[in-house]
Amino acid sequence: MPLQFINAEKRINDTLLFPSFDLSVQAGNVVAIHSSVNVREQLLDLLLGKTLLSNGEIRIAGSNIISNRRDIGFLFLDGGLYDRLTVEETLTFFKRLHSSSDRIEDIIRTVQLESKRKVKTSRLSYSEKKRVQFACLLLQNPAVYLFEEPDQNLDIESKRIFITLLHQLRSAEKSVLILTGNMESAVTAADEIYRLDENGLHTIQIGISEESLDEDTSEITDSIQPVRFEKIPTKVNEKIVLFDPPEIDYIESNDGQSFLHIKGESFPSVFTLNELEERLLPFGFFRCHRSYIVNLQKVREVITWTRNSFSLVLDDAEKSTIPLSKTKMADLKVMLGLK
Amino acid sequence: MTFSMKRVHAIFQKDLKDFSRNMAVSSIIFMPLILAAFYSRMGMDSIDAHYTIINMTFGMVATFVQCCLIAEEKEKNTLRGLMLSPATTSEILGGKSLLSFVLTIIIIFFSAFLVEYKPANIGVVAIAIVLSSFFYIGMGTLLGLLTKSVMEASFFVMPVIIVFSFGSFVMGFVDQYPILKVANYLPNIQLIDLATKVEVGAGFGDVLSNLGIIAAWVVVIFALTVVVYRKRMVD
Repeated sequence: MPLQFINAEKRINDTLLFPSFDLSVQAGNVVAIHSSVNVREQLLDLLLGKTLLSNGEIRIAGSNIISNRRDIGFLFLDGGLYDRLTVEETLTFFKRLHSSSDRIEDIIRTVQLESKRKVKTSRLSYSEKKRVQFACLLLQNPAVYLFEEPDQNLDIESKRIFITLLHQLRSAEKSVLILTGNMESAVTAADEIYRLDENGLHTIQIGISEESLDEDTSEITDSIQPVRFEKIPTKVNEKIVLFDPPEIDYIESNDGQSFLHIKGESFPSVFTLNELEERLLPFGFFRCHRSYIVNLQKVREVITWTRNSFSLVLDDAEKSTIPLSKTKMADLKVMLGLK
Repeated sequence: MTFSMKRVHAIFQKDLKDFSRNMAVSSIIFMPLILAAFYSRMGMDSIDAHYTIINMTFGMVATFVQCCLIAEEKEKNTLRGLMLSPATTSEILGGKSLLSFVLTIIIIFFSAFLVEYKPANIGVVAIAIVLSSFFYIGMGTLLGLLTKSVMEASFFVMPVIIVFSFGSFVMGFVDQYPILKVANYLPNIQLIDLATKVEVGAGFGDVLSNLGIIAAWVVVIFALTVVVYRKRMVD
């Protein structure tokens, strides 16, 4: 059952939060909207019916959202649980509340909480609590799933469970919409990614056509620039700051602008990702994703979420994870000398 | 969407488990019982003394427990989950009220047993007590919806407990301050009035005015609760 935004536009007083956009989340599809916190909260309020769109409408399965809001299952960032009930009691309650026919054991196994079933939810870790909330949502079994920052602060095990869960939802023909402010999480989890801000809705990572365009421009710059120097310039306010390549942890491209990530801070670069890739290749950098270049010296771990989705964990202070696309996995194995 | 007893029962069971493990709230239900035991040992067996305990049970069990149940759901962000579930307003509030109602009736029964209160006409008194408990549960729901946390709820409930369980003392000052005659229409004083009449042999017909006033309070508090719930639904 698709969730559709038609001509949706929202203004608050005189400020435009987002101009009108069309978006359809089809059954069996996972879509992520990357946005600021304000936009995310507005979208949630709109879906909850707390506020109304300035223009346009939101539809579920072709009819207006007001009449069938209960077809959406929400996972809130600040969602709560009954502290004094055990995991099993919580799920039994939700099963009865939603008249679900699923077996509690199956659901507990899906979120891998078998060993915690008799533990009160107040004693669980944050990640485990989130998994209980996933389980409650599975018992609700809505047609449209809405996740607010689903993997924020989750441990790696829970992220893996979440991604496996998304695969199940895809094959069960559910529509999934993820609202997040974290590009890495959007790239790892979703099939289609959009950015929503006051300039409208933009597709991120549309692929080949954009990339070939980038390559053309990079060839031109190559021919103009006869001398190569090793430092990478970035712009901070009006200053130009130069960085040594080994300092850089990774580079992320966002809306056509590339950002160097150095010790947890990000600096906008004047070059495109393709230009940077070419310059940095001799320094042991690797294009691990359409929107990411990583410094291989800083990679600590390669995580396999499922057979086709991977992430790289870096050795920096925050243990940043960045996505690794499946086509690049083969290249990486070659670079690492693995068969 | 039909009223489903299954969902009401699910909410009732969940709350019962949650409540029995929540000592901060559940221990208060023993207060009226302890007081009842004291009163009976002290030999206080006037109608006024009996009804101080019964009215206190209403305040502490019906209103306080109900208020805390709802305030906690709000504080922990779980009420939103219930509201977004297929359960309707009446099912959610019904399930929650059922627990406070059952507790209230049990505590009143045992308190009456401890103070050896035997009404002359048990039918009329039972109807009056059930009707009053509806009022106090409605009041608890209303306060629970208006507050944001259990802490805040227990603060707001205090004046309610004082006014309604010790309100009968106010009647002593009526001669001094005629304005207090208004208090005559409070549900707790109506209940005492009704019980006194029953003791001197009044039947169902003689206490209709008392029952009517209590019922009017019930209607008012339910209407207010529904209005507030609809408003808070969007929060």
